Amino acid sequence: MRDAITLQTRAGHWLVALLVLGGLVFAVVGFATGDTFYLRLATEALIFGGLALSVDILLGYTGLLSLGQALYFGLGAYVSALALIAWQSFWAAIGASLAAALVCGLAGGLIANRVRGVYFALITFGMAQVLAKAVYNTRALGASDGLIGVPVLDINLGLFSVSSASPVGFFLFVLAVTVLFYVLAAYLLDTPFGRLLIALKANENRVLFIGYRTSTLRLGSYLVAAVIATLSGALYPMLRGFASPELLFFSTSGNAVITVILGGVGTLVGALYGSVLLTIVKSVVGSWTEHHLIVIGLIFMAVVVLLPKGLMGLVQPALVSVLGRGSRR
Amino acid sequence: MTAVRPVLEVADLSISFGGLKAVDQVSFAVERNRVTTVIGPNGAGKSTLFNLISGALAPHRGHVLLEGRDVTGAPPYRMQAAGLARSFQITSLFFELSVAENLRLAAQVLEPRVKLGLPVGSSAKARTRVQELLSQFKLDEKAGQIVGELSHGDQRRLEIAVALASKPKILLLDEPTQGMSHADTADTAALVRSLSNDVTILLIEHDIGLVMDLSDTIVVMHQGRKIAEGAPHAVRADQAVQTAYFGHA
Repeated sequence: MRDAITLQTRAGHWLVALLVLGGLVFAVVGFATGDTFYLRLATEALIFGGLALSVDILLGYTGLLSLGQALYFGLGAYVSALALIAWQSFWAAIGASLAAALVCGLAGGLIANRVRGVYFALITFGMAQVLAKAVYNTRALGASDGLIGVPVLDINLGLFSVSSASPVGFFLFVLAVTVLFYVLAAYLLDTPFGRLLIALKANENRVLFIGYRTSTLRLGSYLVAAVIATLSGALYPMLRGFASPELLFFSTSGNAVITVILGGVGTLVGALYGSVLLTIVKSVVGSWTEHHLIVIGLIFMAVVVLLPKGLMGLVQPALVSVLGRGSRR
Repeated sequence: MTAVRPVLEVADLSISFGGLKAVDQVSFAVERNRVTTVIGPNGAGKSTLFNLISGALAPHRGHVLLEGRDVTGAPPYRMQAAGLARSFQITSLFFELSVAENLRLAAQVLEPRVKLGLPVGSSAKARTRVQELLSQFKLDEKAGQIVGELSHGDQRRLEIAVALASKPKILLLDEPTQGMSHADTADTAALVRSLSNDVTILLIEHDIGLVMDLSDTIVVMHQGRKIAEGAPHAVRADQAVQTAYFGHA
């Protein structure tokens, strides 16, 4: 007997492979045409895809709606920017961001997980607002102007190094990192720990009676999501050369939630496709009119009404049935 | 006779909500591999008693002893680890997940903790347990079905199977036949009887006819208090029970 959840995860792997293939083609085309703008834009889409992925772990698997995931994204961006300015080292920036993610994720998780539902959403929103306002008013962090002057850097990967200034090179690097986040999340969610998160979403009370401390499970999920959001944020100043307080604002958190709903809640891969789609829509519609938010709002409403399972709801069930047939043979 | 320690002992257990003494100084013991049934009219405090024993509520007074160990007020997951599992009167399953996945989730505690972080496929003990339960509860053919789509009777049986998955020492069943048809009720009674070979059972039941044949010991509750305890025929003849149930002496 095939396990339905494992099959669904596997269908996701194929869709990620397709995304990578698309990314590689895009990189080749971009390289051949000497493009910078679209490669940079696509890199940004992937970085925000990582943030959306973290929202999906909470929303799609654990059943927790965070309206403040930008807290960790912005945290990563600022810590990474500061570390890059101080040490010009990629690994120092990642290490510092990871440490910050663990400490702040644990603290934030202990606070936010005291409550459920709407209250959880409000507390996560509130915590992000507090940090956003604090950063916005701190001169040492550039205040409302943001933290500028992040140096171009060579990312030393042992065998070779990638310059953050190279549009193709850095795009491919971010593509690899995003896939790594996906693999990590997909692995974790197909372990008994991950299944318990799904069970939490379905019926938290029963999880308690089958022998698990639900507060620990929720904290675990929150921490994983915090780490992925922070590390995604850490890539941002490498791309743009600065970190701005907008990264901490509600618009960032809200966009991540919209991204997940567009792509398909509880699919992981939907977060990545959703981010690419949203970026395309923004830049295409944005070139016609500056009121592109209206268009995005309409698209969002249409998806919620017509495609409650998002984009992935269109393709994943078919893929699952194909894979299910293949494995039974 | 050498005293064999009862699996579960409840002593002086009490809780009140506001002024209402929902459970009031209730004491009894549950012997190994027996079926002990708690009966009583609506509002007698049976479900509250279960909530106190299973850790859903902490008692204001009294003790709960599992195999002699004081577990009073421990949270449900600790009770579970100590060998106590329960089912619910209102079916409480993972309705969006498959029958097999519901059982697998509950059987996972049979595995060492480190397996929580390894792929699901590597938990062989849990998988074996799921197969056992599927055939024991005649759910093989429905293994892949989503629980929300099962019939009420099947959901009620799965409710018991999920509680049993961890191989508990004592199983608390809260009205397992709730809302069942006549035929399903008889099947469930037979099922509970067969389970009692391997596990001690504490049952809450409404249907007095059913519990007479099924139980070794009956505890009768009325308005939060225990008013009688004993073998089925003795309890049936008890004056206090007659009064509580039928309102005449």
